[in-house]
Amino acid sequence: MIIRTLFCGLVGLSPLAAQLAPPAETVALVEKKPAQAATLFDSVLRIEVATQNPDYGTPWNAGGFSGGNGTGFLIGPNQILTNAHVVSNARRILVTQRNSARKLPATIQHIAHDCDLALISLDDPAPLEGLIHLPIGGMPELDSEVRAIGYPVGGDRLSVTRGIVSRIDFRPYSHSRSDSHLIIQVDAAINPGNSGGPAIQGDKVIGVAFQGLTQADNTGYIIPTPVINRFLTDIEDGRYDKYMDLGLTSFPLFNPAMRKALGLPDDDRGVLVTGIIPDGPCDGFMQENDILLAIDGNPIDSAGNITVDGETLVLHEIVERKFAKDTVKLDFLRDGSRQSAEIILKPLPGAPIFTVIYGERPEYIFYGGLVIQPLTLNAMSAHRLTGVTIRHLTTNYLNKAIFRERPEILVLTRVESDELTANMGGFTDSVINTINGEKVRDLKHAYELLYEKEQPEFTVIEFENMGRPLVIPSAKVEAVNQRLMKTNNIPSNHYLGE
Amino acid sequence: MKTLSYTLLASLTATGSLLADTPEEHSAALQKVQLTPTTELVGEKENQILDSFVRVNATIQTFNAGQPWQRNNPQRRSGLGTLISPTEIITAAEMVANQTYLELESADSSQSVQAKVVAIDYKANLALLSPVGDPGFLAKKTPLEIAKPAKIGDPVNVWQFEDNGTTLKTTASIRAVDTSATFLSGNSFLTYILKGSMQSASSSFTLPATRNGKFLGVLTSYDSDDQISEVIAPEIIETFLRDARDGIYEGFPTLGCAIQRTEDKSFRQYLGLSEDGGGLYISRVKPDSPADKAGMKKGDVLLAVDGSELDRRGYFQHPDYGPLTWTVLIRSGKTVGDTISLTILRDGKEQTLSATLEATQPPLIPRHINDSPPPFLIKGGLVFQELSREYLRAFGDNWTTRAPLPLMYAMENPEDYEEERNSIVFLARVLPNPATIGYDRLGGMIVNGANGQPVKDIAELAALLEKTPANGIHTIELDEAPGVIYLDAEISDQVDQQFLQQGLPTLSRLPEKKLSPAEVETIAAEALGEKTETEESE
Repeated sequence: MIIRTLFCGLVGLSPLAAQLAPPAETVALVEKKPAQAATLFDSVLRIEVATQNPDYGTPWNAGGFSGGNGTGFLIGPNQILTNAHVVSNARRILVTQRNSARKLPATIQHIAHDCDLALISLDDPAPLEGLIHLPIGGMPELDSEVRAIGYPVGGDRLSVTRGIVSRIDFRPYSHSRSDSHLIIQVDAAINPGNSGGPAIQGDKVIGVAFQGLTQADNTGYIIPTPVINRFLTDIEDGRYDKYMDLGLTSFPLFNPAMRKALGLPDDDRGVLVTGIIPDGPCDGFMQENDILLAIDGNPIDSAGNITVDGETLVLHEIVERKFAKDTVKLDFLRDGSRQSAEIILKPLPGAPIFTVIYGERPEYIFYGGLVIQPLTLNAMSAHRLTGVTIRHLTTNYLNKAIFRERPEILVLTRVESDELTANMGGFTDSVINTINGEKVRDLKHAYELLYEKEQPEFTVIEFENMGRPLVIPSAKVEAVNQRLMKTNNIPSNHYLGE
Repeated sequence: MKTLSYTLLASLTATGSLLADTPEEHSAALQKVQLTPTTELVGEKENQILDSFVRVNATIQTFNAGQPWQRNNPQRRSGLGTLISPTEIITAAEMVANQTYLELESADSSQSVQAKVVAIDYKANLALLSPVGDPGFLAKKTPLEIAKPAKIGDPVNVWQFEDNGTTLKTTASIRAVDTSATFLSGNSFLTYILKGSMQSASSSFTLPATRNGKFLGVLTSYDSDDQISEVIAPEIIETFLRDARDGIYEGFPTLGCAIQRTEDKSFRQYLGLSEDGGGLYISRVKPDSPADKAGMKKGDVLLAVDGSELDRRGYFQHPDYGPLTWTVLIRSGKTVGDTISLTILRDGKEQTLSATLEATQPPLIPRHINDSPPPFLIKGGLVFQELSREYLRAFGDNWTTRAPLPLMYAMENPEDYEEERNSIVFLARVLPNPATIGYDRLGGMIVNGANGQPVKDIAELAALLEKTPANGIHTIELDEAPGVIYLDAEISDQVDQQFLQQGLPTLSRLPEKKLSPAEVETIAAEALGEKTETEESE
């Protein structure tokens, strides 16, 4: 099954076509304030986005320009909720009201890629006056009716579709490629362009339409209100802190021989702790081979599930609803004795390796024809970095604490051909270990070693799992840089982020 | 070159390895030939027909990598062999690898005798066969002498049989001499490249090539687009026979180091190499290998072998054949026990080392398994195997990304595991049963120990699980989460009995403790696996 987001992409929308569209002002002149009171439909807005997508394959390039449209809805004074993927990499955001042709410029206030939600606001909020702020409701009942409202493909005007809540589950959110949260599946028709639109029950929002399955019928997914509320609470302090994680892996304890060997009764309770992420929230409190029995007083069964209000949830859902610096109480069995620990939550290190980056310029160093980039999910997909060495490093990045020595894994992603680099093609996609004998921590460190320190006669770069080092006569780098940067339109020999 | 060349097979669409990964090394050494002699097919009535060839028919059955207790469907393969003595027949190893039945047949298929493999070298792609018992019709045949090495441009005859028994002779010429891996990837040997048009006929898989009425070599592939074929050179056959006839087949020797070319100008300057010279960078030396014992070290630059200078891509100038890869200096005329001199550059100074060649040690992770069924052990529904490259390749297209990562990592980094193990034992899969509740999805995990003891190989794992611990529960220690899994000894024995009743032929196949050198050769692979494209091993 392929999960697709419901963003209506207009790749390569030509400026000419935009010019040919009827001038917005003419219509706006005729338009009057609605005679009757605004309905909830009026609070559902069309969002048109022009994007610039960074090019991790050629990191100095501006990237591709494209665009598309989605939906958003008013939840407070000049607060428009939509999906993160609708406004990711946006260069320009225009909001259109129902029955209006005016395109109102908008700006992102907060964006949360891990739960695919964003809050945007109009640069001039005046046109939103008098509109209803849609209230956020609770969790809907299974089999209860919902309406999805938005601006999907198939027409230009507002669309309403109806269906029922088919399933409540814990599923991946495709936007970040690495997060799973609570999800509601509905059978109302949800199509590209619906993204960011509200799912309504009665007069309350019970979710935000955001993704579907390409190979199944009538399966639309919406982000339920616990996730929405968590996002809105998280940004109250003016900053989005992301989801927290225990930093703990566990193994189910179904097996009778395993339970017997660990001295556990046959009562379907507890999971085996198999890994603690160093420097994570549980480091120092929990150990491998502890038996995790309860989280915040909720008993954990042998599959790692808990029961809250009659619903079965995975144990991580307790942490899902918490914030940085909140505490979690864990009850566990260690060496046969029952113990408990108060864990203070904090985010895990290493996000760029595991989640897609949006809205940032790719970082790189250019050195005598060599292009060095930090390993990110974006770079992995742009350069097809699927080698065993790289996968092994990313798999062990957290649990073997690789991040301590090398917060960034640096990869030689390209070799631009020139005098110095003619025979170095075999080194592309290799992981850099040392530069001039010094272990490299991150891209800034690599830049210091290559450009700021005094260079030896030969700059020696050693790689993970390569038979020989790569060697560059330092004195020649400047001339090669000048020539290559001119031919390839490379504006700078580095971009190290902000 | 790779996509075009294919083996000359008429009667078999075979397993992947047959359309083997032939290295693309030809073009470099191709030399100009003055004239390509016109090729002709000569009928049966021609006087010069040699009566020294037999049909070789083999029934081939490989093992199933995922379910090692069963074999794949049998295939039939037929080709030609050449009689070199009344009871010795030479053919390609590829022809008889994994055979379960072998027979030799006359050209008209009227007579046949059963045969056996006396010696086989999968890397050099040669096999020596002999009849089982009475030689039968072979007695009336004329054995051929082995030809002396030929020269570029020499005419060569290639022999085929038609279905009706007619002998076909094609005249071709030697267009170049090169090294090529004709069967197993990564094992290049001296090869004659023939130019000449041939037709497909029955039993076209492996054909004899002769020169002046003497046996020159075994033709293993033909590219019909370019009309180019590859023939295993007589030097290799000579060395193979000398080794095989002394009783124990030891195989071609290896040096035990990995090299990298030195074309990169900056790298040459850094190493202190002259602008116009040659040399190969030593990127790895296998511990206890002949190279290691000779004192070779990583970072040395190999300048010459037995006085033959190597260029920056590893070619040396052969007096008759022109430029050839340096590996020819080690494994065309040399056998185990021979000594070679290695001229190296270390710290700016030339030195000469002397290495005594040895037989290849079986590697931790075999690259190719032939005629040797994969070992396995089933305990309580857990299936354990020993890691081989063939197991990983069985994951099909994109196997390097589809095979389990820990196993791929072990294959690429065997040195991380070599010290404590004879082989890498891993939990391949779980056959679901009441004893494996909660374990059903485990697989692709390396086993470190069992019942508190480290596991060096699968035989040891079997021995450790043979004894029931005091608490009646076996522990199996894995290299990753969940770390340890537990099996109830009594229940797992019952479960295993049920598997036997349900048709599993046996619960284990363990390798024999002592391997003869010939068997070692069977599972031997390159002393050092080829790790990167730019790195070559010897």
